[in-house]
Order: sequence, then C-alpha cells, then structure tokens
Amino acid sequence: MRIVVLMKPVPDPGEERLGADGRLDRSVSAVINGNDEYVLEAALQLVEAHGGEVTLLSMAPAGMTDPIRKALAMGAARAVLVTDPGLAGACAWSTAQVLAAALRTLEYDLVLAGADTSDGGGGVVGSAIATLLHHPYLSHARKIEPFEGGVRVERISAVGHDVLEAALPAVVAGTQLLGEPRYPSLRGIMGARSKEIATRTLAEIGLDDRPVGGAHATTTLLDTRAPAARGSTRVVRDLDPAAAAAAIVDFLVERRAL
Amino acid sequence: MTAAPALGRLTDDQRAIRDAVQTLARERVAPRAAEIDRTATFPEDLRLLLAEQGILGLPFPERFGGLGADLLTVCLAIEALSSACATTGLILAVQELGALPLLLAGTEEQLDRFVPGLAAGSDLIAFALTEADAGSDAAAVRTRAVRDGETYLISGTKRFISHGSVASLVTVFAVTDPEADRRRRLSAFVVETTSPGFSVSRLEHKMGIRGSPTAELAFDDVRVPVANRIGAEGDGFGLAMRTLDRSRPGIAAQAVGIAQGALDAAAAYAGQRRQFGKSIGEFQLVQGLLADMDARTEAARQLLYTACDEIERGAPDAGRWSALCKLVAGDAAMAVTTDAVQVFGGYGYLDDFPVERMMRDAKITQLYEGTQQIQRLVIARALLARDA
Amino acid sequence: MGGVWVVGEVDAAGALTKLSGEAATAARALGEAGSLDVRGVIVAAEPDGAAASLATFLPVVLTVRSPEALEQTAAAVIAARVAALVGAATEPPSYVVVGATPDGRDLAGALSALLEVGVLVGATGLAWGNAAEGVPAGPRVEMQPFGGRIVTTSAFTGDRGIILLRSNMVVAEPLAAPGRVEAGAAVEGLDVAPVRVVERIVAQSTGPSIDGARVIVSGGRGVGGPEGFAGLGELAGLLGGAVGATRAAVDAGWVDYAIQIGQTGKTVKPAVYLAFGVSGAIQHKVGMQTAETIVAVNRDPDAPIGEFADLFVVADLAAVVPALAAALRARAG
Repeated sequence: MRIVVLMKPVPDPGEERLGADGRLDRSVSAVINGNDEYVLEAALQLVEAHGGEVTLLSMAPAGMTDPIRKALAMGAARAVLVTDPGLAGACAWSTAQVLAAALRTLEYDLVLAGADTSDGGGGVVGSAIATLLHHPYLSHARKIEPFEGGVRVERISAVGHDVLEAALPAVVAGTQLLGEPRYPSLRGIMGARSKEIATRTLAEIGLDDRPVGGAHATTTLLDTRAPAARGSTRVVRDLDPAAAAAAIVDFLVERRAL
Repeated sequence: MTAAPALGRLTDDQRAIRDAVQTLARERVAPRAAEIDRTATFPEDLRLLLAEQGILGLPFPERFGGLGADLLTVCLAIEALSSACATTGLILAVQELGALPLLLAGTEEQLDRFVPGLAAGSDLIAFALTEADAGSDAAAVRTRAVRDGETYLISGTKRFISHGSVASLVTVFAVTDPEADRRRRLSAFVVETTSPGFSVSRLEHKMGIRGSPTAELAFDDVRVPVANRIGAEGDGFGLAMRTLDRSRPGIAAQAVGIAQGALDAAAAYAGQRRQFGKSIGEFQLVQGLLADMDARTEAARQLLYTACDEIERGAPDAGRWSALCKLVAGDAAMAVTTDAVQVFGGYGYLDDFPVERMMRDAKITQLYEGTQQIQRLVIARALLARDA
Repeated sequence: MGGVWVVGEVDAAGALTKLSGEAATAARALGEAGSLDVRGVIVAAEPDGAAASLATFLPVVLTVRSPEALEQTAAAVIAARVAALVGAATEPPSYVVVGATPDGRDLAGALSALLEVGVLVGATGLAWGNAAEGVPAGPRVEMQPFGGRIVTTSAFTGDRGIILLRSNMVVAEPLAAPGRVEAGAAVEGLDVAPVRVVERIVAQSTGPSIDGARVIVSGGRGVGGPEGFAGLGELAGLLGGAVGATRAAVDAGWVDYAIQIGQTGKTVKPAVYLAFGVSGAIQHKVGMQTAETIVAVNRDPDAPIGEFADLFVVADLAAVVPALAAALRARAG
C-alpha cells in the first residue's frame, strides 16, 4: 500500500507567540502537528503489516525541515516539500489546491491527514483535497484497515462510531484514538539523514498561473490579542476533606451556581 | 532545560541523538524515576525501551548491529538519561563498560559471537574486576583462572558488580599467573552467567542508584572455554586500565546529567515557591546558589566533552583526561545536588521531590570506577611522567 | 449581494442539533447587521422534521430530500446537494454558516472545494464589520487558536465564504413566529465519491449527555480508575449535571469517548465545571475554558489548571469527592 501522509509543521504547542506585527511568529521551534503524528504512526503500521511505503507531503517554508526529518526518522521513506515564497499567508482553500496538485504528481493508494491542526483548528483541508481529487473522504478515524481492495475506517460519532468503507484511492483523516506515535529510534534518526526531501515549487506542480498563495488568500487576519483574563484564582490548600468540601460549596453559593 | 549545552561543538548527528534521548528521558524515564528508587527494582521496562530505541546499540560497531557512535555521543546519551534517572543512565554506561574489553581486544570470532546480542540490547554485560580486598588496588585480585586443557576453571568472589544479577555475560578478571609481575598476573574472560558454578551470592542495599543491582558474584569452578579469553594471558590488568580510561567519561556523563537534573528542578522550584510575598528565585542568596550550580555543571560538561574528543582521537594522556573529567564531574554532581536540596529547603529533604534522590545518586559518581582519590593519583602520575 | 445560508445538521434520530439553532441565530444577527437575506437548508433522507425546527429560527428553510444520506457519509452528500442548490439559486449566498462538528468540518471542506471559496474554522464569535483595512464589509470572525492562547479576528478578502461556528458560543433564540419550509430545487444525480456507512455503533451511554449540561463534573488521570468515576457520577447526580473526562481518562479505558472534553473531544460551556484530578493541559483547556465557573481539585499544586480555575483546591480528590457528596446531601436536607 502506497500511503501519502499530509504533514503540517506547527509551532511547538505552548511555545506559540505573536511577532511584533501581531502575526504568529513562525520562527519558534516547529513540530509535527499532533494529529499528523498519530496518522503517520497508523500509516507506518499499515505498511509494516501489508507492505508498501510512506511518503510525506508538506507545504511549508523551505527551512522548516526539522519536523520532516523527525517524521522520516519515525520510518517514512521520503518526503516532498512544496515550498514557494508566494505561499506565505496561504489560506485553507489555497492549501487544499496546492496539496491536491502535489498529490497529482505522486502515486498512492491512500492519503492520510490529521483530523485537525493545533495552530488553526483546521480540519477542512483534507475534505477539500478529497473533493478536488474526487476521492472518497473518510474522516475522524479511530481505526484504519485495508478491506477487499478498499479501505475500512471506524469513524468516531457523537454516540459511538460508524464503520465506513470506500474504494481506493481515498483520503482518510485520523484522530489521536489511532494510538500513540512511536519514538524515532536512533537508527531511524541516523538513517533519516540520507533520505530524500524533494522540494517542489508552484511551477513544478503546475500551479504557477493559478490564483493560490498569500496574494490570493480568501481569508485574512485582522487582529490578534491575548485572551481576556478569567480573573484571579482563589487557591485553597492544607484543609481537611470536610473543610475543602465546604470551601467548594461556599464558593459555588457565592457564585450563585448552587 | 534551563541551560542548553553549547551546540557549536556537536555534529548534527550528535545533536539529533541527544535531543531524541532527552525526549525519551523526559517523557518515559522521568515519570518512573521515583518508583525505581523507592522499590529498588531494576527497570526492565526501560532497559527494553533503550534496546528498542537503539540506545544500547550506540557503543557497538555497525557491522554487529550497533550504531558505531563515538565516545562523546555515548556520553551525551548517558547524560540525557541520567538527568531524569541515574539508574537508567547507568544501564548504558555499564553496557559500555562491560563490553569495552571485548571491543578493545576481542577477536573477530568473539565479537561475532557476543556483540550482536549486546548491540541489540537483548544481552546485558557486566564488568567484574573489583573484589572485597581489591578495590582501588585492582591488581590485588584473588579470583583464579586455572588452565585445564581447552578450558579454564575460574573460582573466587567478585564484589560491587553493577548489573551482576541481570547480565547474561560478565567480563571477569582473574589471576592466571600468581607469580608474575602485578601488571601481568591477570587475564580477562567472557563468562556466560548460565555457566554451572556461577551464582549471585548477595545483592547490596545502597544509598543511591537503588534500581541498579549491585551484586556479589561467586565463581565456583566455573568452566570457561579458552576461546572466551580476551587477549593473551597476562593482558588482563592492562586491558582493565585501558577500559577504565575509556569508560570513566561515561560516569562523568552520568554525573553531569544528575547535576543538570537537579539544577533544572531547583530553578523551576525557585520560580514557583513563594515566601515573604515573592518567589524565592527573586532572593539574591538563592540566585547565587543557582548561578554556582549552573557554573559547576557547565564547566564539568565542557571538560567532559573535551575529554571525549581527546580520548577518541587517541591522545597519549587519555587516562589523564578520563580521570580529570570524572573527578570534576563527580564533585560537581555532589555539590550541585546538595545545593539543589538547599534551594528546596525542608521540602528538598522529602522524597516528594526528586532532589534528595539525586543527591544520594550523585555520591556514587565520586566512588565507582575509581574513587576521586584514585583519579587524582592517575592525574598526578600523568603529570610526573610527562616531566620525567 | 447574496445572503447568508445556514446548513442545519440532523442527528442520528433525524432531529435538528442544538448547534444548528445557535448557527441560525448567529446568521440572523449577521443578516440584520449586513442587511442580508438569511435562509436555512436541510439536506437529509427525511428533512421535514428538522426543517420545521430550523424554521423556528429562520424565516425560510429549504429542504432537499436525499436518501443517499442514509447509506453514505452525510457530509459529501450534503456538500454536493448544497453546491447544486447554490448553483441553481437566482441569488446565491455570500456566506454559509455551519456548525463546527465533525460532519460540519467535512461539509465545509467539501463545499469550499465545490464553491471555490475560503473557510474560517472554529468561530467563537461573529459580528458584522464595515469595509476597512482593505477588506470589504462582511463578517468579522473571532477564533481562539492554540487552545485559546491567542484570540484572533479574521475576515474574508472577497464577498464570499464559509464559517464554522463552535458550539455554545451563541444562545439560540427562536423567532417570534416560525418561518416557512420550502422544497429546494430538485437536483438530479450526485457527483461525489461514495463512502458507504456499513454500520452505526452506539456506545453504551454512561449517563446524561455533557452537551448543554449546566453542571459538568469532570475527571482526569488523577481520578485513578473507573471506581473514581463512579464517585464523580454520584456528585454529578447530586448537582443535576453530567460527567465529563479528559483524554487521559478515556485513553486509559475508564470511560467512554462520548464524554471526552477537549481538542479531540467536545467543547462545552457549562455554568459550573468541577474538575477532579485534571491537570489542565492545553488540549483539555480548549474544550472547557469558557465555562462560567471552574473549580479544580488537584493534589499537584503546580497543575496548570491552577492558572485558570476560579477556585483551586489543592487536596487529594479521593477524600474530597465523598466529603463534597456528603456536604451536598446535607444541604439538600
């Protein structure tokens, strides 16, 4: 099974900060988007069990290769990085078009993406890509397995889960319920140094005359600010259980919550 | 980390390996450290983790499934692990120590036979030189190896043997020629712990590194093939000394790791703990403690890294470098962990916080693989020999 | 200028979801401020019941009967139908508002590709803005990326776009008189790659739903096991609330995913959130930080939840839970 994993480098969660221009500072250390790491693990397990290999596909600034190297160290065979100065500030719709165009240059049976991203919420790009490529889209997967030439997915639902089946090639968006990602082994880390990260410009994926990238963004950020403080925390400690319980009841009464 | 080690001197591979081991140490090792210490149980789960991740394969040649890492890289891994748990850092240090005689003087046949299992981490190997009456005076070993046809019969008792009860192989130093000069009396052997006559006669109860089993090993006419002798008869003492020249940096790395772990814990605590209406880190007396801890740790680290480079490039005074770095790092670990307990105040004395464990763990780095006094002897002898 | 469409979501029982009413209310406010026509759309196998519910919030609701929605995943089917409706409309909408549920996200992505428009994901607030700063008049969308560490306002650069609204950000308000339901223009065929739904598994319910609960008693790793959650269930019963959980507790198998709160679970906004043994990691915080009152009980004085709880009790929850239950019972007399 040939699997392409869409991987988004995001700022290290908890390290995010705004630059002087009020925009997200992309110079803080980047990591693999959380959910993407889980689907990469699922992809690696699929090829370990059924043969094939995993290719990473990212759209990111040229220098942002550390997270890609880590993913290669986990076991992906190669990476394709679409990078172009014109892509800075790209919106979700642009991103979907770029990744769909890049996928058209690759051979694959399955495309895996994270169900959402820690930086922008996301979760719509996979669906848009599937629609553009006319592939079935199976989202919110907690389990992915091959099935009679197709793919079967358990999709979490509000009340439990649905079992879905579709033909290949398909796009599957996975969640953290797929299972903990592995740590890259030291051997994997050493081996990743010699793996290929092929860079592609917009021209190379046939999009240089399309309205994609920052200049054609469909959405724009007007303002960023720190969230309003919740007010101060009242801390209670060193009380016996009954007194602690009474403190909670009193507080709820004071807040008119009881 | 409050203090990132200088990056300029490390290669990309070294940096990547250090970062990866740090991540494992933080996410998988640190949460286990207190329990390992409290229950004094060898962390088999973490040994498996180190094996799976290839960390135990670091010191071994690639052709046997290892990673062929240089000494500095091995030390970076020991340091990272030890910053979370000194017992876990020691797993790699002892694996290297026990295997070094083989790596330094083993035949291709011996390497073929023993190293793949060691590199994969499925086998652990211990280093058995010390005896009850042969500690600092290593040449005073009494364990005998008597030639009997194509085998040797080994009998005697080894003491203070790290991993002695969990290893499947032990590198044993025994007397083959009692009449010879003290530097030619010993030979080295690889003994499989399944051999008849081998037994673990006692496990020590220790102040620190409590998860690392320290065993007394009894050899009761243990029959070992001649093919398991490392080097020629009489080469044992020299081999032991060359091994220690190369292994002491591992202990220095353990010491630097312990110091860094204690410094990180103390700095974090100083930022949180409030007294007299402000964080204790705002008091200059506490700041002074923290600054001295950082200076000591970083100085020890830089000396360690330099020593690794010198030893790796085959410096003629390798013994001096290894003694220097262990001396400085062991003392730094003891001082820094003691100060860390001080920063925590009364809480530091409780096992609710990691610094009291780190202080107990630090002490061993001043004792094993040559006491600090022996390190000074080694250094001084090197100086005097240079002038002679 | 075109109007605002709200695509309503239908639950497994065929009823309109609560979030759809919230989305309709938010869209109506946009319509009033921007002088835009607002209408609802329901695409379902049996759309009439949900359409009638949506019409309590909106003057006009279009229905599309789509039996495929039963055997296939809904989002692709709905996206194709809505896109066709848009194509056939004499006045196609400028903006489409959808609830930010799993289906809503799938729908928005597909619709964005079919209509070639942008999407703003996870709105926590919506307002109308006049033309300024190089953007035309249109919706101004507040979002809280990175688990709420940053609050942003975004806009569409053109006059079209899709907005995904998070739950519990708007209070649903019905119209004084319900609107009318109309059958949408019939569209033949469906140009989507099918995904068959082979089976729908309903997990055993663990109690009242956390959706819309006024009080949520939530547990994390510190609860220690399913027995601990039984204690939380008792508390929830005494407070008339529901039990929630962190991902750690769900991953440990102590409770079902249906009650997971956070980045990979649900977003809740109860009046009272009682957190026991919850560290307050950012992935959890994103799901509950807008609760009106947060009370946390944790043995670890350094737990991050101490930084945003209103009351932080540093104590062993194993002792506090029964004591609190006793206090509440005594109070109830």
